[in-house]
Amino acid sequence: MIEICELTKRYGRRIAVDGLSVQVRPGVVTGFLGPNGSGKSTTMRMILGLDSPDRGRALVGGVPYADLKWPLRTVGALLDAGAFHPGRSAYAHLAALAASNDLPVSRVEQVLRVVGLSDVAGRRAGTYSLGMRQRLGVAVALLGDPTVLLLDEPVNGLDPEGIRWIRDLLRGLAAEGRTVLVSSHLIAEMALTADRLVVIGRGRLLAETTVAELASCDGSLEDAFFRLTSQATDYRGVGAS
Amino acid sequence: MNGYGFRHAVRMERIKLASVRSTWWLAIAAVVAMAAAGAGVGLGYRSHTPVATAAQILNNSLGGAILAQLLLGALGVLVVTGEYGTGMIRSTFAAVPRRRTVLVAKAVVCGGAALTVGLVASFAGYLGGQLAIRGTAIPAAPLGNGPILRAVLLTGVYLGATALIGVGIGTIVRHSGAAIGTLFGLMFVPMIVAGLFGEDGIAVGRFVPLLMLLNSIAVTSPIPGLFAGWVSVLLMCGYAAAAILCGGLLLRHRDA
Repeated sequence: MIEICELTKRYGRRIAVDGLSVQVRPGVVTGFLGPNGSGKSTTMRMILGLDSPDRGRALVGGVPYADLKWPLRTVGALLDAGAFHPGRSAYAHLAALAASNDLPVSRVEQVLRVVGLSDVAGRRAGTYSLGMRQRLGVAVALLGDPTVLLLDEPVNGLDPEGIRWIRDLLRGLAAEGRTVLVSSHLIAEMALTADRLVVIGRGRLLAETTVAELASCDGSLEDAFFRLTSQATDYRGVGAS
Repeated sequence: MNGYGFRHAVRMERIKLASVRSTWWLAIAAVVAMAAAGAGVGLGYRSHTPVATAAQILNNSLGGAILAQLLLGALGVLVVTGEYGTGMIRSTFAAVPRRRTVLVAKAVVCGGAALTVGLVASFAGYLGGQLAIRGTAIPAAPLGNGPILRAVLLTGVYLGATALIGVGIGTIVRHSGAAIGTLFGLMFVPMIVAGLFGEDGIAVGRFVPLLMLLNSIAVTSPIPGLFAGWVSVLLMCGYAAAAILCGGLLLRHRDA
């Protein structure tokens, strides 16, 4: 369970997240949807205590992230494909993080198998392709067998097989009763992965709905998404002619 | 179990430090630099007239510490800025949200490693000098001699403290290039400034790291006007503590 209450974050004069209140429930995959720059990543960083909110708060399992006794065993996060040192091997990266939360080395080998990186775990992570980096990020998220998972754009850079793999993985984790929050700007992908949708634009909550509801009220999901975010899209190109 | 603590953060930092190549390259380079400088000094004095004294050989053969301090200072900087530059810092703080626990763990692990490397490098410089003058009329400088052993040990500790200053500056500045530039500037600029004071420069110079190293720490007897070697080393540790403290205060409120 993730509870976000009146969360607000400013960077200088720009407001990134604006009084956002959402509850993310366990047992289903919740899609966190919005255009580029809508505040998804900022919100996720605030949930993890990496950025401090100007107002409001975010609780995980009823407590602020900073108060968790074993953070990695409670929350697993994939923030961006590259939250690692390129000179360090995937194995050492995972082993260091495992040590910080007193997780056994066997767990490192286990998650490497789950994400399919066992054979290349000794290689420096900087030599990985974007898809392999995403898999390493997923391995970090799964490391502590957490009850809450936060994934920021996990399908970026994955091939079709990888995308299906992550979809099945996330649905399986939710089915085990875990809380799964996945951000994306791809409505089509979210339609296949998520059950519930939280749509934001310019840092504000635009809709809290289900995929089924959103699809039924307007022709296509894509049209529904554009209608929702039409007033809240910051960067828009025009036809090239 | 009662939740993660300092020892878990230390274990994490130990694995991180040992698992990047730059750590090993910088450590090896520091030892080699000092050994080479020591041997070079010894060879240079072999046919020198008048015959050099034991103190002259020792003082000069530890001169490689000028380079070693930059290498180990850079090691300290990179322990922190290497994480900010790559995004690793977010993985670290997500695993251990108590940031100052992370900082202190980094200081302990990196400081311990740099102290070990610094002592090895200092002995390498001493040995290089002694081996290079074997078979000449120059008197050997036995380690059993108090002032000689003290100079070698204090030079090693000075090098460890430099790495800790690097950790502090890295935490304050966060950008590798800017932090290493700042560190080098702090090492050399005050020495030049102290020189501008002329005769009175010594009153300022005794607080300047590089002058302390060359005239008070890595020598058998300090130049008059400078602090005793151990006082100079304590001063360096004080600078390191101040830098890390500043970093810790900034760490608390800044976004990662």
